Amino acid sequence: MIFDPILDLFRGKAVTIPPLDGAFRPNAELEDADLVLEITAPDNLTVRGGKLLFTSGNDLLELVPGGGTATVLRSFDAVISALAASPGGHLAVALEDGRLSIDEREIKLPNNVTCLTALAFSDDTTLYLCNGSSTHGPGDWALDLMAKNNNGSVWRLDPATGAASKLADGLAFPNGVLADGDSIVVAESWRHRLLRIKGGAVTPLLEKLPGYPARLSAASGGGAWLSLFAPRNRLVEFVLQEDAYRRDMIAGVPRPYWIAPSLASGTSFLEPLQCGGIKTMGIHKPWSPSRSYGLVARLDTAFRPVASYHSRANGVRHGVTSVTEYGGYIWVGSKGGNALLSLSQKG
Amino acid sequence: MSVRETLQRWRYNYIPDHLIGEILTKRWTDSAIPFLALVITVAGFGTAINGFFKPASLSDSTRQLGEFSIVVTGLTIVMLGGGIDLSVGSIFALSAFAAVSSLFIFDLPVWVALLAAVSVGIAFGALNGFLIGYVRLRAFLTTLVTFIIGRAVYDILVVSFASQVQLSDVTSDLWDYIGDGTVFGIAISVIVAGVIALIAHVALTRSRPGWHILAVGGSRRSAHNAGIKVRQTVFMTYVISGICCGIAGFLFACRLSGAGPGTGLNLEIMALTAAVVGGNSLGGGRGSIVKGLMGAVIVLVMTNGLIRLGFGTGTNQMVLGLMLAVAVTLDIRWLKNRHKVLNEVYVAPIYQRMGETQSAEPNSGSPYALNNNLAQTHYIGLGELEGPEDVILDEEDNLYCGTRHGEIIRFFAPDYKRSEVFAHTGGFPLGLAFDKAGNLISCVGAMGLYSISPDRVVTKLTAETRRSWTSVVDDARLRDPNDCDVAPDGRIFFTDSTKRYDAHDWALDSIESRPTGRLLCYDPKTGKTTTLLDNYLYANGVCIAHGGQSLFFAESWACRVHRYWFDGPKAGQVECVIKDMPGYPDNINRASDGSYWMAWLGMRTPSYDLSLRHPSMRKRMTRRLPQDEWLFPNINTGGIVKFDETGKIVETLGDLSGISHPMVTSMREHKGALFVGGILNNRVGRLPLPNAKPDWTGIRSYWGGAK
Repeated sequence: MIFDPILDLFRGKAVTIPPLDGAFRPNAELEDADLVLEITAPDNLTVRGGKLLFTSGNDLLELVPGGGTATVLRSFDAVISALAASPGGHLAVALEDGRLSIDEREIKLPNNVTCLTALAFSDDTTLYLCNGSSTHGPGDWALDLMAKNNNGSVWRLDPATGAASKLADGLAFPNGVLADGDSIVVAESWRHRLLRIKGGAVTPLLEKLPGYPARLSAASGGGAWLSLFAPRNRLVEFVLQEDAYRRDMIAGVPRPYWIAPSLASGTSFLEPLQCGGIKTMGIHKPWSPSRSYGLVARLDTAFRPVASYHSRANGVRHGVTSVTEYGGYIWVGSKGGNALLSLSQKG
Repeated sequence: MSVRETLQRWRYNYIPDHLIGEILTKRWTDSAIPFLALVITVAGFGTAINGFFKPASLSDSTRQLGEFSIVVTGLTIVMLGGGIDLSVGSIFALSAFAAVSSLFIFDLPVWVALLAAVSVGIAFGALNGFLIGYVRLRAFLTTLVTFIIGRAVYDILVVSFASQVQLSDVTSDLWDYIGDGTVFGIAISVIVAGVIALIAHVALTRSRPGWHILAVGGSRRSAHNAGIKVRQTVFMTYVISGICCGIAGFLFACRLSGAGPGTGLNLEIMALTAAVVGGNSLGGGRGSIVKGLMGAVIVLVMTNGLIRLGFGTGTNQMVLGLMLAVAVTLDIRWLKNRHKVLNEVYVAPIYQRMGETQSAEPNSGSPYALNNNLAQTHYIGLGELEGPEDVILDEEDNLYCGTRHGEIIRFFAPDYKRSEVFAHTGGFPLGLAFDKAGNLISCVGAMGLYSISPDRVVTKLTAETRRSWTSVVDDARLRDPNDCDVAPDGRIFFTDSTKRYDAHDWALDSIESRPTGRLLCYDPKTGKTTTLLDNYLYANGVCIAHGGQSLFFAESWACRVHRYWFDGPKAGQVECVIKDMPGYPDNINRASDGSYWMAWLGMRTPSYDLSLRHPSMRKRMTRRLPQDEWLFPNINTGGIVKFDETGKIVETLGDLSGISHPMVTSMREHKGALFVGGILNNRVGRLPLPNAKPDWTGIRSYWGGAK
């Protein structure tokens, strides 16, 4: 309506988010996926030399083929924040405190690169780094979002020499990276989009995602798998516009109880509740607004979403930060649900 | 407290924003804009023009106004019936001519002249009505055609007979008196207009044909389906409009004793503008005669004023056109958006700072620490029940609870597997209590206090109290009666939680956090209801203390419990016994060991407590987000707290799984077990209490051995 811009001054513009529709139509496939392993906060699913590696806290683990167990390959002295394996079998491990090692050899990084959220090799001689934020570590992502930061960057590194060059900066929490031919694709979480970085040019590739994108991995037959670690929520987006309230919340409310996206929710009665999430007649409505959600999307070769796998508001397989294809199955790490899942590909 | 918080508190707690919403719920706000326009117009021209209100100046204007408002009254009736009449100007002119020629050319008596004028009006009105009502032609085009034809006939007649009228030497005292005379200083035409308006108003608001007109205008098809003779009703509206034009034309003729080429020119535009500016809907069905009259005054003051200020006819027409455009736009936009505006402005949050509370987290060591005991209840009526807000048991151990379908269900002892509908109240039964005679007393949501006798006769005890002086929305009505209890002498004490929201919107009251809850008393001896306490933040559970002289009541959104003495030395006093709890209290009931059970309907969350200190944020939230997305207090986790006479917390039960009893609104101890209800739950839970007295019942605690 033509009066809307004028009326908005008085009543405020409605806060809207992209609907879960089209390729993102909800289902329960993630919720119903096979549980391979119950393990605390599985993350960084990576395939190296025919083995599935993943991390849990400080531990780097390898899945025992065919069995519901995993063996610890190595324990680090800090939480592992990112992991990547090269085609030739080199393994890059990034830690929460900003240290990066390749095949157990520590690499010196530029000064302000301390928030390694994702790593990817394009070949044995090129490693791409996502530096989520230059002010907060990977574990403080919620603070980075609520502070409305956009000082993340993406780097290219030569593993042999340790020489790093900046490809892009001013990004709002780059949180996933994938080499795609002569360019790379980066997930920019706080702006809910994928970017393509080619040469020095940064162009949006897929925008208006219904969640906060995290790690990307290559899919067989072209395209990619994208994990979205939390849903967009209108109340959160509203609070992002409420400066006074947000400032007081950051200062005075314990972080697990913020009005902010989360990897898991509903575990404490001190968490915020939205009207739609009220349990009525014993039912927690799956379509109710939630701070956490489980969502994995299959992207085609042009990085358009074609299918998605969900664990909805009433589910528990939430907070998926990484997904990878291995042995004909899709392996999903539900960091919020403390579960390693496998599912077969649709269609 | 920071400066920002202080300012927010002043801004939101002392400026009564909520009144805007309450005023907008009133029907008369529809007339507010035209009324404002009327005041501005009259005041504006009154000050701009010297002597605008002098009697001499007024005398001619009021006569004009009389004639004009008669025409507008007729047009208003047509518009209320869903039509439009553009031919009023030409009917008016022809009627005037008929009156003039009857007297001056044919030398007939004055009453015949009146008859002639009215007959012309009826004839043209009937033609319009026949074509539009029965032949079902479009009102706009049909009356446009009759307007053109009528005008053409009038022009021909005037050219031929005007000189004869002027040369006539007929005089009539009665004629001149009608034209110039006054009764008690009031012009005849104004009196006639007043009488017509009064008749029309009474007919429209209080008679069957009048209602039929409004019904047809509101929805033609529905009116037809309801058995109203739509065609005849439409026909009649045009005939009435014609008669009005005839009378107005006659009065005009008397005043000027002649008819010229300018008679009735542009009258249709003026009348239409008046009717619409007054606030009558062009779509029909909405409006009133009073609105038409307001519009008539506005238009006439405006046109006369502009002429007196020296503006020409062109300006006058332009102003009329602009007024019409503005009025039509407002009419349509307002009609379409009124409920949206109301929705957006109704919730008016205030600043509230909750006190620091002790933790309720398990293992926190505080007396409020929740455990998981409530998760292990035995379910009663799982899946059959919907919304047992309160539960109560009789002496035969049968269980009673309300449902959101408006029924009170009875589950039969001992296994509570069989059930029956005990009574149907028609509203959501909330609090329950047994009186001495064994009647089940219930607060029925949005309805009032009811009594259900053992043989299932439902009787309304009370649904109103005295209205407070400052209320905008009538607060005599009980909006959200919530819990009740019976004193030893039979008086029933009960709460009405909020004056602002209906029972099903109870959680919105927490977003607003405006204290409007009441404690009331119904005395069965006198049948009177009195308001004992007012302005509590969601007054909820009530329980008569063991002594029988005082009662406890919960103030939910403030997380407090108060004690009120109704008898004894401290009668009339109220004191806060528990404050700053980590949960929101609901119903309170007696326990076998001399203490009290209290339900927690939900838990405070740090983010929500913080939002209570940000009223502007909550206000924007209600406007910018759909309701499902609003931040709420956490009512997915409840609990049960036991406190003693002094308000000391004895025990706390919880359901951390959130599966059995996510929200607890009531609990009742009976023979060594606790029965747990929740307004949003689909079951009643039964929890054995190993340490309770195994033969204790609520009824015996209240009424002794006798039932």
